[in-house]
Amino acid sequence: MAAASWTCLLLPLAAALAITLAGTRLSRRAAAYVSTLSTMGAFAAAVVAFAKLLGESPEARTHSTTAWTWLAAGPYHFGLTLLTDQLSIFMMLIVSGVGSLIVAYSVGYMDGEDEERRYFAYMSLFVFSMLLLVQGGNLLLLLAGWGMVGLSSYLLIGFYQERASAIAAAKKAFIMNAFGDATMALALFLLIQHTGQLDYAGVFASAPHGGTVANLIALGLLGGAVAKSAQIPLHTWLPDAMEGPTPVSALIHAATMVTAGVYLIARTHVLFENAHVIQDLAAGLGALTLLMAGLIALVQVDIKRVIAYSTMSQIGYMFVGVGVGAYSSGLFHLMTHAFFKALLFLAAGIAIHAVAGEQDIRKLAGIGKLMPQTKWVFLIGSLALVGIPPFAGFFSKDPIIASTLARGDWFGYLLFAAGIFGALLTGVYAFRLYFIVFTGEPSAFAREHFHAHHGKEGPLSMRWTVGALAVLATIGGFLQFVPFWDPLTKWLDPVVPALVDATNTQEAVASVLAVLVGAAGIATAWLIYGSKQLIAPEPVRLFEQKFYWDELYDRLFYYPTDLFTRGLYAFVEQPIIAGSLTAVAGFFGLGSEELGRAQNGLVRTYALALAGSVAVLAVVFLSVR
Amino acid sequence: MHGPDITAYVILAALLFATGALGVMLRRSPLIILLSVEIMLNSANLLLIAFARLHGREDGQVFAISVMAVAASEVVVGLGLIVAMGRRNLDLDVDKLRTLRG
Repeated sequence: MAAASWTCLLLPLAAALAITLAGTRLSRRAAAYVSTLSTMGAFAAAVVAFAKLLGESPEARTHSTTAWTWLAAGPYHFGLTLLTDQLSIFMMLIVSGVGSLIVAYSVGYMDGEDEERRYFAYMSLFVFSMLLLVQGGNLLLLLAGWGMVGLSSYLLIGFYQERASAIAAAKKAFIMNAFGDATMALALFLLIQHTGQLDYAGVFASAPHGGTVANLIALGLLGGAVAKSAQIPLHTWLPDAMEGPTPVSALIHAATMVTAGVYLIARTHVLFENAHVIQDLAAGLGALTLLMAGLIALVQVDIKRVIAYSTMSQIGYMFVGVGVGAYSSGLFHLMTHAFFKALLFLAAGIAIHAVAGEQDIRKLAGIGKLMPQTKWVFLIGSLALVGIPPFAGFFSKDPIIASTLARGDWFGYLLFAAGIFGALLTGVYAFRLYFIVFTGEPSAFAREHFHAHHGKEGPLSMRWTVGALAVLATIGGFLQFVPFWDPLTKWLDPVVPALVDATNTQEAVASVLAVLVGAAGIATAWLIYGSKQLIAPEPVRLFEQKFYWDELYDRLFYYPTDLFTRGLYAFVEQPIIAGSLTAVAGFFGLGSEELGRAQNGLVRTYALALAGSVAVLAVVFLSVR
Repeated sequence: MHGPDITAYVILAALLFATGALGVMLRRSPLIILLSVEIMLNSANLLLIAFARLHGREDGQVFAISVMAVAASEVVVGLGLIVAMGRRNLDLDVDKLRTLRG
């Protein structure tokens, strides 16, 4: 068990180091294969560990292995500990499994790019960091992984470093994530102060229950989760993060890293249950985000940004799930979302790749006719996203909506209404994208710029990975069909016992309603963008401007800081610091000019000065004596 | 010990030194300035010899000889400069040589 866990964690790190150290001795293609194989190796190790866990009784499925004491400070000791239990193996399988598909896809996607090696080194580093995050056996290692995924996300968003917008997006993502890291670190300080340790079991056993401290701890953790998962109010970095290469958007900004917040809440659910207000806040923020992101996605014209807003919206569902205590539903949605969202991104990537990087859906319009396979897999992804049976989203989204009903109070009903309305929005924006880009006659731009890859729609590595994800997005949901079978909930139950249990009626009501409004959304999109029987309404300015969050942050943080520094420049820098230096320089300049005038070149004057000085000195010495 | 009192020597030396110093400070011809410098040096020599005689010791006289050697070398350099100036048809006037003013 220990060997499998360590192999899973360290293989991607080894690949990152190998690619970095080998430099140009490794061909670009070889670097790509090293990275892909290491991620697949990590997946294999995770499968081995999973098989071993399967063979054990549910109570014995928690293993931790400590390499050495990583940090010792006074009475506190934090080990380099890996925890392998039901939850972490679940995350390991998703991260390394979906990760290896996406890295394999990159082999074709990044082919011929400059600096392919750097890309694959970063990718491997990311996989390692993400595995460290989910495998870490205490909150400190989790925080280390948390920071490192932020770093690799920064590096990969800014991969096209010659593009100013990519650098700006990378910095934005890093700063917003650093804010979350900071609140999380504060929460950990409080935990150390009150429990003296950071091991999960120990912390959960002795963490403060109720009261301000418990609320503050949960709030700090929620801050980290919200920043990493791009939920209101720290969400504005995710759409900009689409500046990175498309496989990066698929792996980091859809399938794995952005869902880390959901993992964090599930992992530390005890701390959130000790602070109910904060857990409700998580659900509320999730609901707000899913609505807001859905509305914004309706009017965006960049194919990747639409999918990015859809990611925010879907993570909003997961937050609602873990916020009301339906942890396994939230995590199940995390898994299916990883499948279908990676599929959507990678399929979009094939389309973008085929038209030389164009991402504007008005220019891509009708490209489905030129690439029928991509059209089909995108349709599968969109159906899974909307939650139409039998595709994956249906099985995982509806239990979340049902669990809000099971809460049974006004807040639960509000969340329920948000979830249902969100399903309608999902139907509209997902199929607006599908109908515009993949149906109808190809636009002039698409015809002109489309170029097939040796007669196929893309390189082999891109086609088989997208195919595999399409299969997963189709059948992945059958893993669990509440209330008929629920192996995942049973599997996760020892780690994250659910707080709410929806009745069969509630499940049925939620499912039927969600599917109906989803289908209604698709029908609306069809009428407007497919058959064009309805005229598309004017885009709402509020949505186009993304609810003015960026402007708000500009006003709140940028302008005051800018004003302050301008003030400092005008009233401190200029008069005091620069002023004093100018004065000193001016004094010496003027002084030397005056002194220089004494040096008039007349030898006789010098002689006179000499004689005069000697006379004065003589008088002085004589009189002093 | 015959001859005038030491005071007379000191007064004469002071007069000579003042003459030389005034010459250096007032005259403009480099040749005269050089001469005036020589007069100042010789006033110092006179004092050295006079006091050597007064104290009955020879080191003052020895020192006077070395001063003469220094003076001779100085005259060589000075005259060399003046000849160089003459060759370039420059005016023999130190007030016109003021390229080094600040």
